[in-house]
Formats: sequence, structure tokens, C-alpha cells
Amino acid sequence: MSNINDFKSLELTVGDVFSKNARIKARNVNVFYGNNKAIDNVTIDIGSKEVISFIGPSGCGKSTFLRCFNRMNDTIDSCVVQGEISIDDENIYDKKIDVVPLRARIGMVFQKPNPFPKSIYDNVAYGPRIHGLSENKEHLDVIVEESLKRAGLWQEVSDRLQSPGTGLSGGQQQRLCIARAIAVSPEVILMDEPCSALDPIATARIEDLIHELGNDYSIVIVTHSMQQAARVSKRTAYFHLGKLIEVGKTKEIFTRPQHHQTEAYISGKIG
Amino acid sequence: MFNFYLLSSVLLISLIFFFLGNNRAKNLVKLNQKNLHSLTHYYGVYSLLASLLPALGIFFIFTICDDLIFAELIKKHIPKEVVASKDYNFTIVLAQINNSVEGLIFGTPPQWVTNAAEIWISWIHKSQIITVIICISTALISGFLGYKKISGNFRSRNAVEKIVMSILAVSSVIAILTTIAIIFSVVFESIRFFALIPYDEFLFGTVWNPQFEGAERAGSGQEGLSQYGAIPLFAGTFLISIIALCVSVPVGLFSAIYLSEYATSKERAFFKPLLEILAGIPTVVYGFFAALTVAPFLRSSGSIFGLDVASESALAAGLVMGIMIIPFISSLSDDVINAVPQSLRDAGYGLGSTKNETVIKIVLPAALPGVVASIILAVSRAVGETMIVVMAAGLAANLTANPLDAVTTVTSQIVTILVGDQEFESAKTLSAFALALTLIIITLGMNFYALHVVKKYREQYE
Repeated sequence: MSNINDFKSLELTVGDVFSKNARIKARNVNVFYGNNKAIDNVTIDIGSKEVISFIGPSGCGKSTFLRCFNRMNDTIDSCVVQGEISIDDENIYDKKIDVVPLRARIGMVFQKPNPFPKSIYDNVAYGPRIHGLSENKEHLDVIVEESLKRAGLWQEVSDRLQSPGTGLSGGQQQRLCIARAIAVSPEVILMDEPCSALDPIATARIEDLIHELGNDYSIVIVTHSMQQAARVSKRTAYFHLGKLIEVGKTKEIFTRPQHHQTEAYISGKIG
Repeated sequence: MFNFYLLSSVLLISLIFFFLGNNRAKNLVKLNQKNLHSLTHYYGVYSLLASLLPALGIFFIFTICDDLIFAELIKKHIPKEVVASKDYNFTIVLAQINNSVEGLIFGTPPQWVTNAAEIWISWIHKSQIITVIICISTALISGFLGYKKISGNFRSRNAVEKIVMSILAVSSVIAILTTIAIIFSVVFESIRFFALIPYDEFLFGTVWNPQFEGAERAGSGQEGLSQYGAIPLFAGTFLISIIALCVSVPVGLFSAIYLSEYATSKERAFFKPLLEILAGIPTVVYGFFAALTVAPFLRSSGSIFGLDVASESALAAGLVMGIMIIPFISSLSDDVINAVPQSLRDAGYGLGSTKNETVIKIVLPAALPGVVASIILAVSRAVGETMIVVMAAGLAANLTANPLDAVTTVTSQIVTILVGDQEFESAKTLSAFALALTLIIITLGMNFYALHVVKKYREQYE
């Protein structure tokens, strides 16, 4: 049965879904909201230290699929995930898996900047504190400083770490959220349209940041902007109506799409 | 009955004006073949309101004023020797005459009262005729004026809009004025009380022992002297409120957290209405639950531990009052906890926190101002609660912090003071108003503060 599914999936998706040094492997993933099928039999690999972007029209399921990787869909009552997703060859939908440390291994940045209504310091220190990552106060200070530096925010906030995180500008808030995510030293970072609420300058800063972080982390970024996908990612996956239509090198997807639906989207015929 | 007929005919006239106005507008459309400013029924509604509102206004002014005018006029018809007599009281005389008018005759009233009542009745007849004439003619004239106004250029839609707005504004003014009137009536009676008893004695006195003047003369009570120190009452009120909060804050808050964070939507749909049923139980039911079930239980279980529990204890009243205000806290806290954006929870889960960590470290701190506001509102509800304490807390004005003793509260004292026949001039009766005023100030202050906290909280996420 699973072989047939495999076959169907391969037939459906154009391009190379597999990756040589795969970190995350998704196999025949189906997601249902009640009776509604949101993701239809998707198979894809995500490589180690790879930046991959998911593109596609609104409602195509790319965010839903992203949320499967850290099991955020568990928080939605009616949502059911079928299939297999493994990280470092460990099935994360296995019954034995504890979802809490799993989510600590996989950072997530959301569409709208969502800093906690706490100080900048406490925002970043939140993760290390609940996971007991720091031995003492000094160590925590170091983690916070490191994370803020990596998120490119240290220069702007080093003198006001105790002021509320909600008082920052939108772009700064989003970088604070990135700092918060990397403070728990995750292996993978999921980004769900991280720039859709930001102005072009803040977007450019975040994109630079994604470039840098791509050297150390696997990053999956969902985006509406094809230019952004072209700028930040090495690989691109195109989703349409819950199906993974085409995967390939970003350059090739945007210059020589194989599937007619991908081409229609790239050229602006589906939006 | 007379008023009913009058109002019905005014209504009928205005309805006729509605159809007249509507038809006139329709005819205008037919004759001129051009568009009116508004739809035709607006012209009808305008004529209706034009005829109805002034007539109603005049009707109410007449009904309110005629009794006042008659009372002034009747003074001339009271014999001089009655007015000159020592215990003449116009209010009582007026009541005698009014009773006669209504046909309530006790014994044989003096001849002059019967005469005055006959004169009064004749006035009523005259005033009825005048009211009918003026109301009907107002309805007709103003309706006709409104009807005449109808033309192609008249903007009846806007005019109706303005009239409707003023009706709404008047309604809200009535609500506000009623509140102000209630507060003022309490304030004026309190001023009379403070003329008899100095306010510092009232606010800082530690003994509450109100007596009737008759009782004072008889030498009963504490050396025959009334004492109006309100501190034991407020102490009792706050003792009971604190016990109530100790019950309701944990239970209410925890159930709110369970309902909003942990319960599935099915459980929530089942439990939330159940909890809100608690709020629908009349407080008198809680009262006898406290007096007949909880208090005896506390007394018997206290005796097991060798504790002397009063049969009407602050603890019994406080516990039951706590149960009563659980739905307030849980329902309000549930709302504020739900108002915490889902994105904050997602961020917490995304970082790998458990549900419990997310609730304690993220959701509750964000919802805290709203939770505090709900608690303050619950306190003001507890402070003003009457029935439970009347039935379960007793009437002994003890100044004590022992929850096993009987205490009394401000509200239950007001009830006992005002129930039954009272002399209105005595300090005892008036003290109820002073207590009420103090209570109003306290609860108003609390509500005001709670609203302030909520407002501040709302701005946080915008």
C-alpha cells in the first residue's frame, strides 16, 4: 500500500523531492481539518543547512505543512496528520515522542511578530529558562547576548534590555522573535511568512539574516513573495490545493518550471 | 382608564397622519413625475412623529403637574382654624383629602375634608376635559403642520433621523438622571443624619448600637444611648468579603483557566453554561443554603475540633457568598484569558513550553490586569450583597476578625433598620442612608478602578 502511495506521490510531484543529506524526511503526509483535506500525500526531503522556500497561492496548505514539522497542528482540535515525518531518522509522529523537547529542537518564527509582553531580555531568556539551558545568571546573559547578536538586534537594544519587547518597531520585533527562537539552539528554523507584516527595509534585514543563519541551520520559509523565495532560498517547493506540484533548485523553478501549474503561478496567472 | 382612551386616540390620530403623509408623498410622485428626496414612507413617519410626540409631551406634563397644582390650590379650601391649630401638618391633611377622593374613608372625616375632596374631584373632571382638548388639538395641529411641510424638496429622511436620534438621547438621559436622582436622595438623607450624629463618630466609632428615641428614654440599651460607629459593620462586611474571595478567586480563576485553555470545545460548550447557571440562582436561595445547610454543618464540625462556632457565623456567609461570585470571576476571567492573542500561545508552544508553562508564564501575566479587574468587580458585588448575609451572618455588630463569630454587615443593617414601621425623623432610620451612601462610594470607587484597569489592559495589544 505504501509503495503505491509512494509511486503516486512521485508521479504527482515534478522535480527531485529527495535530498542527499536529508535532515527532515516527510513521506506521504496527509493533513485533515475535520473532513477537509488540507495536505494531499506530500513527500519531500529537507537537507541539512539548506534554505528551502514553500510558495503557492493562498490556502494551498504551505503553512499547514510547515506546522507539521514541529507538530504545532496538535494545538488545533480538528486537525489530523497522517503519514510519516522524521527528523534525523526519528519519526516525530511516533507515540513515544515527547512533543515538548521536539519543539525546542525546531524553532518557529510566525507571520505576525509576536513578542511576549515582557522585557526584551525576558523574551529571549524565556526558552533557555524553561529548558534549563543556562547554569547561572552570567551564562544566561551570554546566551541572550549571543542570540540578539545573531539576530542582528544587539546593537539596537543592548542599552535597553529591560524595556518591553512590544515597544520595538515591527521589524525589530520580528528579529527579537528570531533571537528568541535561536536562543534555545534549535536545529531547524521554520518561518511562516516572516516578512508579510514588515516594510521593505525591515524585510531586507530579515532576508540578510536568513542568509547568514542558513550557514548553520536548516531553514524552511513559507512566503507569498516569489522575489523573496528567489532571493533567500536554494530550493523551492510549489504547492497548489494541498498538493506538492514541483520541487527544484530555486533558479530552475523560476526560469524553467517543468509543470504547467508552476509556470502559471510564476508568470502570475494563478494568484 | 381615561388616560388609556386618550393615549389610544392620540395614537390613532398620528396613525391617520402616517397614511395621509404617505399618500401625499405618493401623489407628489405621481403628479410631478419627479423624484422626492426620500422614500414615501419617510414622509408618513415624519407626519406621524410630528403629531404624536408633541401630544405625548403635553400629556405627560399635564399628568405630572395637575396633582401639584391641585395641592397648591386646595390650601385655600382648608378652614383657617385647622391651619392655625397646633398639630397641623399639610402632608397629612393632603393625604386625608386624597384618600377621600379615592373613596378610602376611615371613620367619619370632618366636613371640610369631604368638601375639599368634592372640590378636588370637580377639578379632576375639569382637568381631564382640558387635557383631552389640548392633547387632541396638539396632535391635530402639529400633525397638520408636519403634513403641510411635505413637498418635493423636504428632506424627511434626515428629519426622521434627527427625531429618532433625539428619542434615543432622551432615553439615555433618563437612565443617567435616575442614577443621579437615587444618589442625591441618599445624599440628602445622609446630610440630615450627619446633622444629628457627627460624621467622625459615624466613620470612626467602634460601637454600633442604634436605638429608637423611645427606647433611649426607657433606659434600655447601653445606658440608653444610641451609638452609630460604623466600623464594626464595615469590618464585618470586609471579613465576609475576604472569606468569599478566598473561596471564589482560586476556584473561579482555575475553572476559567481550565475552560479557556484545557477544555475541548465540547467540554467548554457543556461546562460554561452550567457554571453560568450559578449566577442565575436567586441570592435568597443561597441565603437559606447558607443558613440551613452550611452554618449547622460548620457548627457541628467545629464542635468536633472543640471550636465554638456561632450558629450564624461569618464563615458560613462568606463561604456561600464565595460560591455565589465564582461565576463572576470565572466568566470575566475566561473572557480576558480568551482575549490573549493566540499568537502568544503559539510562540510559547513553538519554543517548546508545555501547556502549563504557557499558561503560567505567558497567558496569565498577559491577562493579569483583566483578571484583577474581574476580582475587583467581584469584591464590589460581595460588598453590596445583602440577602445571604441577612440570612446567614447574623445581626450582632461584633468588631472581630474571628470568622467563627457572628458579625453583621452594612447591607444587613440597612435592611433591619428599614424593615417595618419607622419614624422618619429618627437618627436610626436616617443612619441607613448614611450607610448606603458610604457603601455606594466604596463600590463606585471599586467599579471605577476596575474599569480603569481594564482600559489600560486593552491598550496593551493595540
